[in-house]
Amino acid sequence: MRWLNTAAAIPRRDPFAFAGLLLYFVFVLIAIFADSLITHDPREILFDANYDLVRNLAPGGDHILGTTFSGRDIYSQLVMGTRGALIVGVTAAVCVVTIGTVLGLISGYFGGLTDTLLMRLADIALGVPFLPFVIVLAAFLNPSQWNVVIGIALLLWPQSARVIRAQVMSLRERAFIEAARVTGAGPWRILFVHIAPNVLSLSFLYASIAVGWAILTEASISFLGFGPSNSVTWGYMLQDAYASQALGRGQYYWFVPPGLCIIAVVVAGFLISRGYEEILFPKLKD
Amino acid sequence: MAYFLRRFAHMLFVLWAVATILFFMFRLMPGTPLAAFIDNTTTAEQQAALIAQFGLDKPLGEQYWLFLTNLMQGDLGQSFFFKKPVVEVVMEVFPNSVILTLASLIIAYAFGIVAGAYLAWRRGSWVEGLGIPLVLTTRAAPEFWLGMVLLAFFSFHLGWFPSGGANSSGSDWSSDWQRVTSLDYLSHLFLPAITLAIYLQGLPLLLMRSNMLNVLQEEFITMARMKGLSTWTIVMRHAARNALLPVATAFALGIGGAVGGNVVVETVFSWPGIGRLLVNAVSASDYPLAQGAFLMITAVLVVMNFIADVTYHLLDPRVRIATR
Amino acid sequence: MLLEVRDLVIDYRATRGRVRAVDGVSFDVPAGAVVGVVGESGCGKTTAVRAITRVMPSSAVFAAGSISLDGVDLVGLSEREMKKHLWRDIAYVPQSAMNALDPVWRVGKQIEEVLVDRGGMNRKAARARAEDLFAMVGLEAKRLGDFPHQFSGGMRQRASIALALALSPKLIIADEPVTALDVVIQRQVLDTFADLQKQLGLSVILVTHDISVVAYVCDYVVVMYAGKVVESGPVADVLDTPGHPYTMGLYNAFPELAGEERELSPIEGSPPDLLDPPKGCRFRARCPFAIAVCTLDPPEHIIGTGHVAYCHRASEAQDLRETAKRTETWVGVTSE
Repeated sequence: MRWLNTAAAIPRRDPFAFAGLLLYFVFVLIAIFADSLITHDPREILFDANYDLVRNLAPGGDHILGTTFSGRDIYSQLVMGTRGALIVGVTAAVCVVTIGTVLGLISGYFGGLTDTLLMRLADIALGVPFLPFVIVLAAFLNPSQWNVVIGIALLLWPQSARVIRAQVMSLRERAFIEAARVTGAGPWRILFVHIAPNVLSLSFLYASIAVGWAILTEASISFLGFGPSNSVTWGYMLQDAYASQALGRGQYYWFVPPGLCIIAVVVAGFLISRGYEEILFPKLKD
Repeated sequence: MAYFLRRFAHMLFVLWAVATILFFMFRLMPGTPLAAFIDNTTTAEQQAALIAQFGLDKPLGEQYWLFLTNLMQGDLGQSFFFKKPVVEVVMEVFPNSVILTLASLIIAYAFGIVAGAYLAWRRGSWVEGLGIPLVLTTRAAPEFWLGMVLLAFFSFHLGWFPSGGANSSGSDWSSDWQRVTSLDYLSHLFLPAITLAIYLQGLPLLLMRSNMLNVLQEEFITMARMKGLSTWTIVMRHAARNALLPVATAFALGIGGAVGGNVVVETVFSWPGIGRLLVNAVSASDYPLAQGAFLMITAVLVVMNFIADVTYHLLDPRVRIATR
Repeated sequence: MLLEVRDLVIDYRATRGRVRAVDGVSFDVPAGAVVGVVGESGCGKTTAVRAITRVMPSSAVFAAGSISLDGVDLVGLSEREMKKHLWRDIAYVPQSAMNALDPVWRVGKQIEEVLVDRGGMNRKAARARAEDLFAMVGLEAKRLGDFPHQFSGGMRQRASIALALALSPKLIIADEPVTALDVVIQRQVLDTFADLQKQLGLSVILVTHDISVVAYVCDYVVVMYAGKVVESGPVADVLDTPGHPYTMGLYNAFPELAGEERELSPIEGSPPDLLDPPKGCRFRARCPFAIAVCTLDPPEHIIGTGHVAYCHRASEAQDLRETAKRTETWVGVTSE
């Protein structure tokens, strides 16, 4: 399958993309083995031998990254946050790219009224301000991570849909599609069996960036206080830090690491997508 | 001209569609329809007045019509919290968002354009090797986190800048213009604007660089070299001018997107803008205000998209003349 | 002699290695003459000729050779010194003016730019001169205010010629100036060009892959193949009595620009890969007259005054010509 070959070709061609894949891999591992990597329960409020709250401890000793204002271990929160981030990220990416790909395929192949309608729908989706919409969603529905997924799925599908639509429109005139039509293949079969595999690499490209969008959005929503309060995510950590005046106390060890983790995962996505782009659309070098 | 009218009609269509979506969202939320407009501080007669105004006891279709007609007249209802018309509350804070957006975009674009052109010129050098990952990092960092770090360091730690708000409390100004151009306001504006600018500059930088790289490959650049023109003339007068077009469009689009996206930065710095208003309104269940703020943000987004479209159309001589 | 190119060697740095696009090319351009450089795409003619301006892609390397303009060796000059010669002594007419003119600048401004920046004129004088230049090439002065995309193909090439003449250069390098035009327009533009050349006493190097263009306007011709010169001399001599099989084949492959109909027979096959060129005569694989000795480098053979060919069998040229005129000679060559 051509897209698998393409996927495997990146690490060899682009060291940055390879770094990105490696980073993702590391984070996935951390997420999977989080339970074994944490030193304390991230949600547990901790007390020392004298039954005093171990709050605002600097990094050292038992607590690799210190403790929060409420006496929780920061390092364990950071590690557990990986899970939340990746779950939201991957789910949102899969949803939005699936919707975008399917709509792009349909719009590009069938054209006409369907295309016009879908593109109008895309215009509306693009006319809605993204973060405000998710905020309002979060206010109406119960605070949960899935608000982010829904918001992204509803509003960000046009990006990938448009590109895939353009690709489908150029593919649809090609000889091998004509051949399939002549041999009596129905339109849906042509679409999903012949055309779709050729656009899948584009889908992967968007998926790798979409993970980053989702994680950034989740962080923003949690920071604003609309995220779920029961799970520990990086966004939650940042909100907690801000609300507990960590900035004033200069507790950099609390709020800098979550940000760095977010950066790492999002940059990994960028690097992978740039590597893909080189392969899909190689530019002539000097 | 025809193009302009078409895009204008399209803009109206999108505005209407989003307003409609908003209407249904706010009406269909869990709880009674009344809950969107009534809380336990409203008296019985206020409730009656609201019901009458918004037709909450009428069928949905009529409510929708009422909503649209009110909207056209600029009536967005009354804020629960402020007990003032929503429009008033929104317009009080809207200018702050505009100023913040424009300030950060101008800084971001000025820097991004020059840096992007420079990176394109230094293709293949270590400057590029270091610069690109750095730019990617600025786009990968959550804006509010950048704000937090800057706030902690420059405000709390070094004390160079105030830690929030737009004006020091207790200050008094003779006019709005006075207030906005005062040193006090500007020192409050600085950190949030820089935070946003750091995040926003990635787009114009990468776009300018990409365009420049393409343009520098073009034959008319080779021709310019053959004419013996100076490097400065070639890069600035020919290459940059051609590369700038999409960036100018992006600027207009940036305004549209930034006003809504500023939400988190406004929150970190307690900047009294429309994004923060939305967050507070939603947190306080002040639905008319939340609805109004959301509509305002959307309107800016859609109108700026339209302006960007038309501007590009006017700027590119190829497109402009072809449609005459 | 206005321009002397001696043993020019130019490489391109490619990811696969070094490609020797120009391998020991020499030719002369007398003052006031039109020299055609002809060959198929990839033979190195554009590279060799553009090298005279020294404006090359960054992957190009001047490996050896000299280029003397009025006695001055251009290869040895610094960039700044070379710039002084650009456009004032050497001007360039590109293949596709659509791509060679800045799309967001008016055409008149682009001519005035070079007059002001490099000709030291003030705006008014530049404007007047631009109008004169347009008149010379047969374009209306009011067209100066238009953008490149508003010109037709032929008009754009005329504008390019006007631009090239701006600083009254001694030498004009025209790289496939009419290839992108249709045949009727080709002839018109070439006529204008040829008239101007005679009027102003310009020296011209005209690069083309179409030998009928050479026959139409050139005084001398240099035939290139796979990075080397295979034949050169006065146009009438080379075309009437070609000494190299490639020239003989080329002539058969193109219709006359202004002559009778002929049966056309293209030369089969394609040129060798210059990353690893074959030993000996590079045309060997496609030549109907190749023999065993052709695996050695061909010597220079003088056929007439100023007319040379690089072929082992050049002495038999007269007989070979007869055979070459028959189309069946050229069929099935590469499958032998």
